[in-house]
Amino acid sequence: MRDTIKYSEEELVGLLVQKDQQAFSYLYDNYAGALNAVILKMVEHNELAEDILQESFVKIWNNFENYDKTKGRLFTWMLNITRNLTIDTLRSKSFKKQQKISGDENSVSSLEDAKGGLDKFDAMGLRKQVGNLKEDQRSIINLAYFVGYTQDEISKQLGIPLGTVKTRMRTAILELRKKIQYT
Amino acid sequence: MNSNEIISSGLLELYATGLASAEEAMQVQQWVGQYTEVADELAQIETCMEAYSQSQSIQPDASVKEKIFAKINQLESAKIIPLNSGEESSNVIGISSFWKKMAAAVVLLLIGSVAVNVSLYNNNKNVVSQLVNIQQALAGLQEKNNDMAADMKVVQSKYSLPVSLAGLEAAPDAAAKIFWMKNTTGEVYIDASNLPDAPVDKQYQLWAFVDGKPVDAGLIISTEKGSKYRIQKMKTFGRAEAFAVSLEDKKEKPSVVPEGPVYVMGKM
Repeated sequence: MRDTIKYSEEELVGLLVQKDQQAFSYLYDNYAGALNAVILKMVEHNELAEDILQESFVKIWNNFENYDKTKGRLFTWMLNITRNLTIDTLRSKSFKKQQKISGDENSVSSLEDAKGGLDKFDAMGLRKQVGNLKEDQRSIINLAYFVGYTQDEISKQLGIPLGTVKTRMRTAILELRKKIQYT
Repeated sequence: MNSNEIISSGLLELYATGLASAEEAMQVQQWVGQYTEVADELAQIETCMEAYSQSQSIQPDASVKEKIFAKINQLESAKIIPLNSGEESSNVIGISSFWKKMAAAVVLLLIGSVAVNVSLYNNNKNVVSQLVNIQQALAGLQEKNNDMAADMKVVQSKYSLPVSLAGLEAAPDAAAKIFWMKNTTGEVYIDASNLPDAPVDKQYQLWAFVDGKPVDAGLIISTEKGSKYRIQKMKTFGRAEAFAVSLEDKKEKPSVVPEGPVYVMGKM
């Protein structure tokens, strides 16, 4: 259910600083799906993903005063929190143990999984346009933005020189912007 | 670097996708504050990435939102409790309204009981004092009754010989009665109740005439109220011809012969 009220980002931030639960509800309704998708790209385990999503939103609520709008948009900040929590969970010992037991099929560190994740996305307005992105462009965006890979990791994963990650990323995003603008 | 060079460098994209190093991130933030064009460009990149993310949305289970709100409300209330705990003891025990009502009822009963007890105590005190009065009155009556019984015993004794003493010149209306156990113990009793009250400095004295001579038979108590109306035991005589009462002056030693006027006299 979406709230009928629409907040500008500035209004939303102002209310969230004051711990306004209605604004937080709006925030959740508008961003939980996107953040959940990011988690699922790395975790691919629904229950664990939901636990991480829950933890992320609680952290967003508790640490909202730390959000600095001069450093970027609200979603970017939320995404960083969510992505970092997910990475922390993946690196935690208990998760590694769990992964060992449940087997390699749940491994999230391969590009195949990132691509597999993409194939699950459906029914959103931009899906088709984004789908027209070249495979390597979509991968570099996903690995960086969603999976949280470093430039070095992307370089190794995609088999491209480290020095080209920056220009390839710029090209991919410019392409993405065009697709989105045409929608 | 001018703003165009910054925009085309690709650093904004690295920053927006989280690939920028800490150093690069600081540099970008500085430029964003410095150049409006750079700030606008970064905002567009971020909006694009946000839209891309939204396009990939997967809605989580509805229970997640409930869990999040339950958690933050729990956290909010947990923040409030320590503030209060400074003022109030953490061991505050709630008392149900039932026990509060019970306590009130018990207090009311206690107050009522005290009031009743005070009333009963006062009543009891009155009753006790009344009882004491009655007992005293009864004791007085019993004493009188005993006296009367003793007097009656004298009067009713089949051995008592009554002798009437009639008034003489000095007191024509006066009278007295002697009860003499003549044939048994010789005890002599007198009922002096019909003698006039003796003056304060005088007293009555009984005489028995033996062989024509008056012999002292004892002083009659007539000044003490009540005693005059009692039958008084006098001295004992085996024989006597007559009895008489005279009014004598009060003195340390009673008279051996009648000196004052004789009020009443009776012969056998």
